Amino acid sequence: MHMADALIAPAVAGTMYAACAAAATYSVKKVRLENDMKKIPVMGVMSAFVFATQMINFSIPGTGSSGHLCGGLLLSILLGPYAGFLSMISVLVIQCLLFADGGLLALGSNIWNMAFYGCFVGYLLIYRPMVKKSMKPGRIILACVLGSIISLQLGAFSVTLETLISGITALSFGQFLMLMQPIHLAIGTLEGLITAAVVIFVNNTRPELLENYTAKNRVGFKQTLVVLSAVAVLIGGGLSLVASSNPDGLEWSIQKMTGNTEVAPESEFTGAVKAAEGIQEKTAVLPDYAFTDSDSVLGTSISGILGSALVAFICIGCAVLFKFFKKRDNSGGKL
Amino acid sequence: MGKLTNAVYEIHVLDEMAERDTGINQVHPLVKLIVTVVYITCAVSFDKYNLLGLLPFLIYPLILFELAGISIKSCIKKLKVVLPLVCFIGLFNPVFDHTPLFKIGNIIITGGIISMVTLIMKGTYALMASFLLVATTGIEKICYALKLLHLPSIIVTQILLTYRYITVLLSEANAVFQAYSLRAPRENGVKYKIWGSLIGQLLFRSMDRAGNLYDSMLLRGFQGEFYYARSQKGSGSDYVYLFSWLGIFIALRLINITGYLKVFF
Amino acid sequence: MIKMIQHFIECRNISFSYEKFSQVKFSYENGKEVLKDVSFKTDGKEAVGIIGANGVGKSTLLRILVGLELNFTGEVLVEQIPVTKKSLPEIRSKIGYLFQDSDNQLFNQTVYNDVAFGPRNYGLEEEEVEKRVMKALGTMGITHLRDKQIYKMSGGEKKMASIATILAMEPDIILLDEPSIALDPKNRRALINTLNSLDYVKLIASHDLDMILETCDRVILLAEGRIIREGITELILRDKELLEAYGLELPLCLRGYQGRKR
Repeated sequence: MHMADALIAPAVAGTMYAACAAAATYSVKKVRLENDMKKIPVMGVMSAFVFATQMINFSIPGTGSSGHLCGGLLLSILLGPYAGFLSMISVLVIQCLLFADGGLLALGSNIWNMAFYGCFVGYLLIYRPMVKKSMKPGRIILACVLGSIISLQLGAFSVTLETLISGITALSFGQFLMLMQPIHLAIGTLEGLITAAVVIFVNNTRPELLENYTAKNRVGFKQTLVVLSAVAVLIGGGLSLVASSNPDGLEWSIQKMTGNTEVAPESEFTGAVKAAEGIQEKTAVLPDYAFTDSDSVLGTSISGILGSALVAFICIGCAVLFKFFKKRDNSGGKL
Repeated sequence: MGKLTNAVYEIHVLDEMAERDTGINQVHPLVKLIVTVVYITCAVSFDKYNLLGLLPFLIYPLILFELAGISIKSCIKKLKVVLPLVCFIGLFNPVFDHTPLFKIGNIIITGGIISMVTLIMKGTYALMASFLLVATTGIEKICYALKLLHLPSIIVTQILLTYRYITVLLSEANAVFQAYSLRAPRENGVKYKIWGSLIGQLLFRSMDRAGNLYDSMLLRGFQGEFYYARSQKGSGSDYVYLFSWLGIFIALRLINITGYLKVFF
Repeated sequence: MIKMIQHFIECRNISFSYEKFSQVKFSYENGKEVLKDVSFKTDGKEAVGIIGANGVGKSTLLRILVGLELNFTGEVLVEQIPVTKKSLPEIRSKIGYLFQDSDNQLFNQTVYNDVAFGPRNYGLEEEEVEKRVMKALGTMGITHLRDKQIYKMSGGEKKMASIATILAMEPDIILLDEPSIALDPKNRRALINTLNSLDYVKLIASHDLDMILETCDRVILLAEGRIIREGITELILRDKELLEAYGLELPLCLRGYQGRKR
């Protein structure tokens, strides 16, 4: 579910960075207020722990396949939402830098989609209220699964919105949604079950590890309001942007959702693509974009191709020249 | 398990690259961070049909790979992490976007095909740029750059600690997992019945480790502050590096070089 | 050391048990008394070995001396200062503590940063910090590891670097918890030589009796939280019956090779 740099427009990336910066600043303030120095090493080691467990495969009962853990909810349960959020940030930063999971530009949206929802919605708004009264295994499982599913659904929904607003996909809103949401339902359930298994184990053997952050602290009305409105503003804003740039798509998906079987009118094709028409008729829901100025965007003929070949040639030429001069300098071996 | 040991290996390789002493390695980390972010932003901001505008941006990674003496091959492996998602989304473009853009002979090239290609190119560019940043700078210095950008010290400390303990915990997780799989040879992954206890045990060990770590910090006078990388002042050549790349990126972004070159045909 | 201190460490009737649910350490013996009425003192600049089977309270005793566990009964004096919450900064500037697992001691990326961590926390100027770091690395003979990434180092290198982090704090006393554990013979030998060359008050908790024999002047034998015997190293470590009664064995070098028993 990591967004890649290529899938996000700079403006969207910037917005998501700003949103994360706000959440992170608030969390830093909160963690500093707790004035618990021990949290610093605990957070660091727990991030590394989540990182390591992400690499362990869990076999899914009844299927031959396996899945793995994402960890936002688990970290929040162990550390509280604020420290959990900060720890998730460092997990995501390391993943981005060392393992090319996600990208520098998309980091903000990845933090939002994966850490924010897990820590502040999944944990703060769902898990914690649900286990406040009792820590019976059934309740823990329910709270974890529900928390995970909802945060992953929100995350997947945000990926959809971010990608669509960035305008890099020809998929319609509804189609993209159908691709993203069901699979994240499965991922969320698994994540919830693994988290629950760990929490139940910890609760049975060393309950003091959970004590600090579940029983005593109440979720204030203000906190709830702030989190909800942050989610509403971003998702609502995103939705309206998608809707305005892509009205047919939204219409389509709303029709689908409300059970209206009437599909949006088939568009008149601009011709030419006969081979693909079969698929097109089944899958197309949007009239094709009419890019009247496509001529100016890209050359009309072979000269465009030749132009790009020339550029590529010059680039490679530069690199070769560099190599040539470097060899003469006799410095540095290749890795 | 392959995944775990592989991760440790990848960290080693990147670190080794970052520790070398090429000219690029010595450029101020903040400068490299800014150049990388501006590069990715410029490249990603191109319109989805603007293949020709995107092409000249290849020059940055190509030159940097040469300057740093890193073979592109070491980066190609990482593509398999990024490209699946990008391709997955990109592949739908030719299916749904039939805007005809131009013809080569009798074949009509549609917008979907071009936008798929640009998407993959953007993904590759972004990956190469981030890879080059890490491979020539290293996490510790990137953290120093982040500190200069006034990222809260608690976050920078977290990143450094996570980075330090990843290898320790990966090998612990590896040991646990191997011990498990030796006794459960037919399982594809960890069986659901012991999800809790397997991860839980690892969790306890990590918590105890964190406790010891805290003690060890306290014993050496820890008061909540972390001091690390020695400060590095930007030199004249850092500024030259910064402004020449920024100049090139902005020029390539604003001027349609390919368009001018077309004149020759 | 200009002032003459006779007893660097003095323990008077210490008893201790972990809290029922202590976050710091987890063991199934929570709530049980770990140390019972332990009293001892060091005599001048000597090296004292603390021996005993697993779980007799060796590590706990060391933890109490540096104030990592404070709710003990009795009195602990370090250079005549009682260990209390208030005196901790002063106590800790005098005592260095070597953890069993070097990975817990070394939490920075590179050796230099880790050794510098302590001096920096005490607010020293960067120049002075560098001097101290280089001196500590020099003493341990690992100047070449200065900029090495910690996770790439071998167990032996990590142990040496861990000791350097302590030396950089310029303590008078060093406490070592199982220093020779998980070291190969060559590294273990190097460790023993280094320990013998370090001119500090040393308290070494271990069940590597051969190492104790080569490094300590005096030995304290602990069992079930009590001091069973205290005395000259050679005397105690030669006492086969005593050692075997408390879950230990004669040091290998005193046993002689008796062939493999089948």
